[in-house]
Amino acid sequence: MTGALLAAQVPSWQEALACPSFWAIAIGALAVWVLLPNRIAYGKTLGGALAIISAGLFASDWPLLGDWTSQAVFWLLAAITLGAAICTICSRSPVYSAIWFALSLLGTAGLFFYQGAQFLGVATIVVYAGAIVVTFLFVIMLAQPEGHSDYDRISWGWFPKTFSVLAAATFVGLLTLLLGNLKQESANVPAATAQQAAERLHATGGILTEQHMAHLGRHLFSTHLISVELAGTLLLAALVGAVAIAIQGKPRLDTRIEEALR
Amino acid sequence: MNDRIAYCLVLIPALPLLSAVVVAVLGLKLLKKFSHLPVILALAGSCVCSLVLLSEVSREQSRTLEGQQDGFEQVVTLWTWANIPAAYDLPAAAGPALPSGAYETGPLSFRVEIALRADALTAMMLGMVTFVATLVALFAAGYMEGDRGYWRFFAYIGLFVFSMTMLVSVSNFLLLFVFWEAVGVCSYLLVGFWYEKPVAAAAGKKAFLVNRVGDFAFTLAIFLIWCTYGTLNYHDTLADGSTDPERISQLAGLPQLAEARSDLKIVPGVLSPSRIVANDYVTGGVATAICLLLLLGACGKSAQFPLHVWLPDAMEGPTPVSALIHAATMVTAGVYMIARCTPLFTASPTAQLVVAIVGGFTALLAGLIALTQFDLKRILAYSTISQLGFMFLALGAGTILGITGGMFHLFTHAFFKALLFLGAGSVMHAMGGAIDMRHFGGLRRLMPYTHATFLVGCLALSGVFPLAGFWSKDAVLASVHDKIHAVEHEIEHRHAEHDAHPAAEAEAPQGALAGWTDSQLATSRTVYWLLYYSALVSAFLTALYTFRAYCLTFCGEERIPQQAAHHAHESPGLMIAPLVVLAVCSALVGILCIGQWNNWGTNRFADFLQGAPSLAAGAITATKVAPEFHLQIAGVSTIVALAGIALAMYLFLGERSEARFLQRTFDLSGIDRLTDPRWVGELEQVWWIGGPVRFLRRVHLGPLATAAGYLLGAVSLVLAVPLLAGQFVSPYKLSQNKFYFDELYGAFVVWPLRIFAAILYWFDRWVIDGLVNLTGMIPLAAGSLMRSLQMGLVQFYALAMVLGTLILVAARLIWAAG
Amino acid sequence: MNELSLLYNYLLVGGLLFVIGLIGFLVRRNMIVMFLCAEMMLQGVSVSLIGFGRYHGGLPGSESSDAWGGAWGGQMLVIFIIAVAACEAAIAMALILMLSRRAGKLDAAVWQDLREPGQPPFIDQQVPEERTEDRVWPTLTPAGIRPKPDRDELLHRPRI
Repeated sequence: MTGALLAAQVPSWQEALACPSFWAIAIGALAVWVLLPNRIAYGKTLGGALAIISAGLFASDWPLLGDWTSQAVFWLLAAITLGAAICTICSRSPVYSAIWFALSLLGTAGLFFYQGAQFLGVATIVVYAGAIVVTFLFVIMLAQPEGHSDYDRISWGWFPKTFSVLAAATFVGLLTLLLGNLKQESANVPAATAQQAAERLHATGGILTEQHMAHLGRHLFSTHLISVELAGTLLLAALVGAVAIAIQGKPRLDTRIEEALR
Repeated sequence: MNDRIAYCLVLIPALPLLSAVVVAVLGLKLLKKFSHLPVILALAGSCVCSLVLLSEVSREQSRTLEGQQDGFEQVVTLWTWANIPAAYDLPAAAGPALPSGAYETGPLSFRVEIALRADALTAMMLGMVTFVATLVALFAAGYMEGDRGYWRFFAYIGLFVFSMTMLVSVSNFLLLFVFWEAVGVCSYLLVGFWYEKPVAAAAGKKAFLVNRVGDFAFTLAIFLIWCTYGTLNYHDTLADGSTDPERISQLAGLPQLAEARSDLKIVPGVLSPSRIVANDYVTGGVATAICLLLLLGACGKSAQFPLHVWLPDAMEGPTPVSALIHAATMVTAGVYMIARCTPLFTASPTAQLVVAIVGGFTALLAGLIALTQFDLKRILAYSTISQLGFMFLALGAGTILGITGGMFHLFTHAFFKALLFLGAGSVMHAMGGAIDMRHFGGLRRLMPYTHATFLVGCLALSGVFPLAGFWSKDAVLASVHDKIHAVEHEIEHRHAEHDAHPAAEAEAPQGALAGWTDSQLATSRTVYWLLYYSALVSAFLTALYTFRAYCLTFCGEERIPQQAAHHAHESPGLMIAPLVVLAVCSALVGILCIGQWNNWGTNRFADFLQGAPSLAAGAITATKVAPEFHLQIAGVSTIVALAGIALAMYLFLGERSEARFLQRTFDLSGIDRLTDPRWVGELEQVWWIGGPVRFLRRVHLGPLATAAGYLLGAVSLVLAVPLLAGQFVSPYKLSQNKFYFDELYGAFVVWPLRIFAAILYWFDRWVIDGLVNLTGMIPLAAGSLMRSLQMGLVQFYALAMVLGTLILVAARLIWAAG
Repeated sequence: MNELSLLYNYLLVGGLLFVIGLIGFLVRRNMIVMFLCAEMMLQGVSVSLIGFGRYHGGLPGSESSDAWGGAWGGQMLVIFIIAVAACEAAIAMALILMLSRRAGKLDAAVWQDLREPGQPPFIDQQVPEERTEDRVWPTLTPAGIRPKPDRDELLHRPRI
């Protein structure tokens, strides 16, 4: 598959200009650049508009997914995920960033559900949205009690901002380019093949069966048992490490008393 | 093979080396002020061995000389030092080929054996060296007493005697060079013995560096000998390096047998009897080059004209060292070497002539310089140079008489010069280290023994009958005279022949001078005549400066320097004993060597020396003449010596003011007053000038007087230039300042070298180092360019990583697409 | 439903999510936001993996390839990604807490001591004023009895 992917032709600039994805990437990059914390007046409005245009252009260039219902659901989830992600990086307040990130995670979870990965969807919500994001919020609360800070209102200088946005756009462009073959093939898949694939997914051991959780558990605890154990150990180590670091960072009690008495 | 000779040969150098090691190891902690004991014992042992060796060699010689004519030698091979097989491919025969097929004709291997030899020359040198060394060591035991480096001194002395005995007894040019350097090192160490004194350290350095020049030439000579003869050994060896004389003689006698056993052919040594007998030596340019290079090496070691500057400075060393190394032994190494290489020199008359010129010129030059020095030891040093010049002159005569005469002078000179130096040391000891003769005088009552022995030495050096110097100096002069005689005889002979047979030029003349052209003969006649007269002048100067030193030191009223105000005394018995022994030797050694009373011409010493292979056979024998005592030469030299003594007595004896006679005559003193234009101003003090001037002023003609004064001042300024220059180069100043040799060398050798070194240093410092630094700067500059990226902000690093990944992905894509 | 189209869409969404996280990581200065962005990049990877897993589940022969789980391999990887992300978050939180205690700030610019000697430090250009609309904080809907305000607490702890 890699060979087929990489065999994609590099388009001429006329082809590139005619492609909506190209414009979507370009406009999206501009939108992100404008939206990032900086001193542009009406940056949010302008960036938001550009982002919506970019999203529309992108959507227009993506292959359709069978019926309109599924299409709409996917678009909705993708829009929530990406939009929330952009908001995450563009919010001037870290608290909002965390909340937007939680929303983005919910969108991701939805995408997981849409793919039939029920367990992962739930796990994402529980682990990330329920635990990690809350932890983030706690840390923000502990570490930044004085409220909004100036370094949140400004990003690094123009150089990293511009270059990272350009790099990101190039990555997406490359990805689009590389997946060009895949998109062309997807338009020409015979209905019979699609039907067979769906049947396989619904067959015993497939993802979309009612015994999804059972299969997942069987795989997890048979094929990947050692990895699971290792992951557990890793979690334990991380727990211990986190506690150690956090305590180490704290001044000792007697020092604090001395400071207070002074 | 004579076992006794072999044992003695090994023991003579081994004992001093052993004692040196013992003293070096134990001297500082254990022996301390007894450090002299092992060395003196070892030297005495060596001396005994040498005397045994001398008698054995003499006995063997008289036995073998009956039968064969190529002299006696015995070689003791200890071990092989180096062996490189087939290092030398023999070229076409260098000279007349060796007679039989017994000699190696294929590739020769480069073999260096630690081989010691015994022959007349070596035995004589060994006896002289060890005898003088023993006496000097005895003297030094008293002289150096209380010195901080007592043990060090005796360790050096032991090492020196080892090196010197090895130098005269090795049988290989490479080993000769090794020990040539070894004695140089010992000399350096001993000259700079009191290294806390900057003068002594500088003198040691100077001696070493000046010797480098000669040693460089010597090295080249050795290379050239190797390239020409394919071996560096003096003696014959078999192809496997062994030196069984019976086998060699057997092989040489039976060529057919030798051809049958081709693996054991003879490799003829450079100075071996077989080669000498066959006269298998190159002639022409190569021979001259070898000899001149050898001569330059000898000049360095023996302080001859171009390289003589180091020896006077070397007097900064302790006086026993001056006596042993810089008068009796080491400096004669050059003479020994040239005498040893007689067959090589015989092949090149040009080189012989150069040897004679160098010797004669040095003798005269050093004698002139010695006239005006005030440092007693320096006078003796220049005297040494002068006497060495006599030896070179005799060697340069190139006749058997000359060579034996030169060696005879070496032999006798060792005794009386050592005696004089030790006497000077005794004076120095008494005077608390003062050596400038202007500071002391009239010591004959204070130091009677030193005075007496010193007088004997002075008479011997001056060449007064019947002391040793008379006989040897006479031999030198006679050899030159005989050479002139031979040359004139040859010229007359040719003229007669030419008159008799005008057409038959080709008729081969016989004799040593046969190969010479007419112009060569004429030139050499002129040169040798000049050298003869200059030698007479030198002999006169010798007597003059010797007795000048004697008079200034021992005669006149008693004066003692402040350093020794209250403890001026005669030296202890330990120091007097060697003086007495040496004085007796100086007095008798000459006359003992002279043969029967009824035949003054025979010289036992010369007869003995003629048993050495270098002198016993070959071309040199052609110069052999019937021994003859030249009463006329002896008379002239005696008159000359007595005249010198008389002049010295007249000048320096009695009233001290007369001692400045020479200075007043030659120094143009008083000129400094004339050359100062201010003297004009002082003229007014003179009444018969001041009166008229004052009168002129009174009649308002003062400016006239002033103008006249200025005129006189200008004239004196103009006069000042040549007068000052004249003062600078007046004979007295020239002699006093050693003819400015040090200054000349400084200006033309030392300073150009220093400037060159400074330029090289500059080049090294700024160009070479600059290039190296530049290569270092390039990464530094590149790093400083990249350093601005290291801002310490992690996200910038991450961005760089992302961009790098991007480039990799893009490259991969383009690669796959292309 | 066309599995290939679904794969394409998911890969692009995953890629976009990754890229947005990347931008955020490179550009934002708040260390907590930086780590949020790192998590977001992991999410992008997870989305791609889920898409691949689904696609492989529909390929012929996937039912028999039990060893690597066909469709399940992607999901397994995502599970481990979540586990690793949790670890990372824990450590990162501890580190950030410590760093902020030391410096009193969450600003990454505080920790630029890694730079080469002689390099000028990074200093902010003019920082924009905080706008009034940004001063709004998220609030929760009031519920239950309103607690009595504690004066000491009000004095010592600023409002979040």
